[in-house]
Amino acid sequence: MNLQKYRADLIRFQSFIALFLLCLALSIMSDKFLTVSNAWNVMRQISVNICISTGMTLIVLTAGIDLSVGSVLALCGAITAGLLRNGIEFPSGNLFIGFTLFGAVVAGILTGSALGAFNGWAITKFKVPPFVATLAMLTIARGLTMLWTQGFPISGLGDTFLYFGTGWLLGIPVPVWISGTIVLIAVLITNKTRLGRYIYAIGGNESASKLSGINVSKVKITVYTIAGALAAVGGILVTSRLDSAQPNAGTSYELDSIAAVVIGGTSLSGGRGSILGTVQGAIIIGVLNNGLVLLNVSPFWQQVVKGFVILLAVIIDKSNSKND
Amino acid sequence: MKKIIRYVASLVLVALVAYNSVYFKKLDEVKAGTASFNAAKYASEFWTKKLLPHTTRAIEIGQLLTLLQTDKNKAFSDYSHALGIGNVRYFLVKGSGTVQAVEENQVLVKVASEREKPEVILVTEFVFGNAVRDASGEIDINEFTNSMDFNNVSAEINKIIREKIIPPFKSKVKRGDRINFIGAIELNKEHLNTRSIEIIPVDLKITN
Repeated sequence: MNLQKYRADLIRFQSFIALFLLCLALSIMSDKFLTVSNAWNVMRQISVNICISTGMTLIVLTAGIDLSVGSVLALCGAITAGLLRNGIEFPSGNLFIGFTLFGAVVAGILTGSALGAFNGWAITKFKVPPFVATLAMLTIARGLTMLWTQGFPISGLGDTFLYFGTGWLLGIPVPVWISGTIVLIAVLITNKTRLGRYIYAIGGNESASKLSGINVSKVKITVYTIAGALAAVGGILVTSRLDSAQPNAGTSYELDSIAAVVIGGTSLSGGRGSILGTVQGAIIIGVLNNGLVLLNVSPFWQQVVKGFVILLAVIIDKSNSKND
Repeated sequence: MKKIIRYVASLVLVALVAYNSVYFKKLDEVKAGTASFNAAKYASEFWTKKLLPHTTRAIEIGQLLTLLQTDKNKAFSDYSHALGIGNVRYFLVKGSGTVQAVEENQVLVKVASEREKPEVILVTEFVFGNAVRDASGEIDINEFTNSMDFNNVSAEINKIIREKIIPPFKSKVKRGDRINFIGAIELNKEHLNTRSIEIIPVDLKITN
């Protein structure tokens, strides 16, 4: 009985234990790791991943997946930057529509929401597997980004906009405030609302959820829309940090995001997991990235190491599911 | 009744967001304020007044490669330029050498140099990117009111290369020719790869 309880506790805190061990090892190996400035640096870097991983968690909880978050992030960042910097011109009507900072940010987030909703619609209406539908969106959004930017970065976005990605508020970086707020809202949604219960129910057993009267399509579209909006927030943060919307921004971000979700203990088959687990997963990925850089490990080896960590996390997840 | 209140509240919210998001102006007023930018003219003047005079300061490619091996930081700090932060930086280089092969999209050149005798690639078909614009270090992003204008300068510079620099060279060059070249290259400081250097040409001469 005690052994069972011990085992259950170990599974519950596995991400936390992994993070602790990782931090301990890196503190021993690099004297630059355990410093306040490096800690804020890591937190600032993982803020973007936390934003997109929060949306990814909601999707994975419904037994779906979204491979398009990186491209959606790039497109939304580019649209925000483009509207803020250049506005829209209608030469035939002699009309110029300028965007305020607020307007450009809203437009970016609305774009992300629309693309997410489109993903959800394609998945529910045409029964396209999420993997395929979002893979298609990955290409579509990247192409649209190239069209919008003409392949060039959009720079010079102004100090106020830079504040989102580089500013500090009450001694904490602004991106950390933004990602923290998103996490808080997502935790409330998953734990305290009907939508949250539906998300877990659909992931646990979609047919049973349908039979019990849950509007599965509506919930899925909502979840993909939220994920798209959060990818847009990530895009705005990246653009703000770099003071530039890069056409190739967000490449392979979906992998880091899925890694954070899986390492955080969310089951890829849906119905089991948590937002806070994903936050831990994102921190592990961030700390791992940071540690490998501090240890001067070649970026090529970094990818190999990250791949093995993800594989290990999935194996542990499978093993836990079997034992459950 | 509740529904109507909800719709009205939503409409008010949308109107409020829209009011704070966009503003409308006549396009000619905006254009008059910024004076319409002629990227082609700017690029042409940049080419003759800033880039070509700056080519006297281009570093010899063999010398650069030697310096990259011995003191990478010095090579990057003394000879590279870039507009943003990051590891990707641009160099204006020059050299002479013998043509090893003339291919559809590129010309392979064995560089004549005291120490390093690398083989470099002269790009003769797909000229794109910001290498030439940024390599000189003579352009200031703050001179531009919007990023499209700034990007268009690059596009126009690349057009000059495609239309005026490459065709006369490409039509005559053959294997074994001795040539002089000046051009721009892109190198990543963190992941330095000097094995297949691609040069975007600024000046090409056959010197047989």
